Amino acid sequence: MKKITLICAGGFSTSMLVTKMNEAAAKLGVEVEIRAIAEGKFKQYADETDILLLGPQVGFMLGKFKGEYEPKGMVVRVIDSIDYGMMNGEKVLKNALEL
Amino acid sequence: MGFNTSSIQEKVQPVVNAIQNNVYLKAVTSGLTTALPALIVGSMSTLLANIPINAYQEFIVSAGIKPFLALPLTLTTELISLYAVFFIAYNLTKNFDKDGAIAGLLSLVSFLFITPLMQESGPAGITTYIPTQWLGAQGLFVAIIIGLVVGRLYCFILDKKWTIKMPDGVPPTVSQAFAGLIPGFIILTIFILVKALFQATSYGSLHQLIYSSLQVPLQGLGGTLGALIIFMLVAHLLWVFGIHGMLVTFSLMMPLYVPLDNANLVAYGAGQPLPNIIGLAFVVAYILIGGSGATLGINILMAFRAKSQRYKILGRLALPGGVCGINEPIIFGTPVVLNPILAIPFILTPIVNAIIAYTATVLNFVPRLPGVGLPLGVPVIVSGFLQGSVRIVALQIVLIFIGIFIYYPFFVMLDKKAHKEETDTGQGTTGQSAA
Repeated sequence: MKKITLICAGGFSTSMLVTKMNEAAAKLGVEVEIRAIAEGKFKQYADETDILLLGPQVGFMLGKFKGEYEPKGMVVRVIDSIDYGMMNGEKVLKNALEL
Repeated sequence: MGFNTSSIQEKVQPVVNAIQNNVYLKAVTSGLTTALPALIVGSMSTLLANIPINAYQEFIVSAGIKPFLALPLTLTTELISLYAVFFIAYNLTKNFDKDGAIAGLLSLVSFLFITPLMQESGPAGITTYIPTQWLGAQGLFVAIIIGLVVGRLYCFILDKKWTIKMPDGVPPTVSQAFAGLIPGFIILTIFILVKALFQATSYGSLHQLIYSSLQVPLQGLGGTLGALIIFMLVAHLLWVFGIHGMLVTFSLMMPLYVPLDNANLVAYGAGQPLPNIIGLAFVVAYILIGGSGATLGINILMAFRAKSQRYKILGRLALPGGVCGINEPIIFGTPVVLNPILAIPFILTPIVNAIIAYTATVLNFVPRLPGVGLPLGVPVIVSGFLQGSVRIVALQIVLIFIGIFIYYPFFVMLDKKAHKEETDTGQGTTGQSAA
């Protein structure tokens, strides 16, 4: 099972997207574990993350997170702004899992 | 739209990273944030103690409840520096991947070392006590400095491996207990010397020096309308380039504004006139209505006035969050980011809100805010009530309408364009970018 972690400033808006992504996962029948947290707290969840998605508002931190976690085999990406804004859980999930 | 996202972001990025990823600023912000749960309880109980209804006041006084309602403030907000110094050192040390608890402890003890201690002889003998004067908002800058210095020093000493080495076979818990010993001796010796040094000067204590030569001037500057407008301008310009601007400017605003709010809250609890107009509470209650950019106005327009499916759906999707001040759907779904048209009201509305709210406070249309610290996500209007006055709520409603007014022409432009695209292509609910 893939573990996906979403991060943004406070973990508020990403948590809205997580709800939508879970709905999409149920619909598509894929098993994933998705959580949303504040970017400052990511360190303690790093071991439980296969795919790290950054909210576009913290996209400027991509370099930092890529440098730190990509060598450990984690996939690190920024969520597309429009998908994020429209809270398109299905598309974000599909992109993350490369379905 | 003629903007090259990546090149602009590449240029802005180093500056933003320097501020936002600065471990010291980050430690201050997260240190103060960690203390919030206790502070919020303190401010809520102060509100309960001060509801201006005579029958209620008579009841809580005669039932003996009032002193208990006033107590949390005395032990939370009025002691904020004690909590802050611990958590700032704790968070800084954790950022360096070291044991935060010992650093927190050492910084708390260091802070108490340099705080003046009083003695009084009474009938029961000599009583030693710590006056709370420097433990509240007045001591916060010292708390920040000591939290950072001790946290950094602790990491430095551990990195130099100046620790007592236990022979192999000693249980790890035992060696850990000794690990803090050398840093403890070094750090506490330094602060005893600092205390001795300042007692020899006319300042008497480090507190007095920092307070009068650093905290007062910086807060005086930070508490002005001009500084607030600059903070808002920078934060929203960054947002327009797709960077969470509040996250960046907050690290600078928090150390300045938290003491201002706290001073108000303490005065409010004591029934005295409130000293400050601007603080974090002011920003949350009046400026960021609907989140960064005060987007509640355009959000309402989208939800109820949009002709295009695209904005109607977005507006309704975003409204519940928007009321609670969470507006990423609007910012990225509209989008506001890299959209030169919407950049105008997005930057303008918060500044107009700040000027109107400041003026209304100066002219006594609304009372000064008691500086109640509210958790993120408290809905607009409710947040006004929690600051203790119906007039504050009334001003919030006025500001919502002003937001609608400022955003209206820009909204019409966007909506018309989206509506035309939808009727031209015949498709309804697209998530296509207009950019």
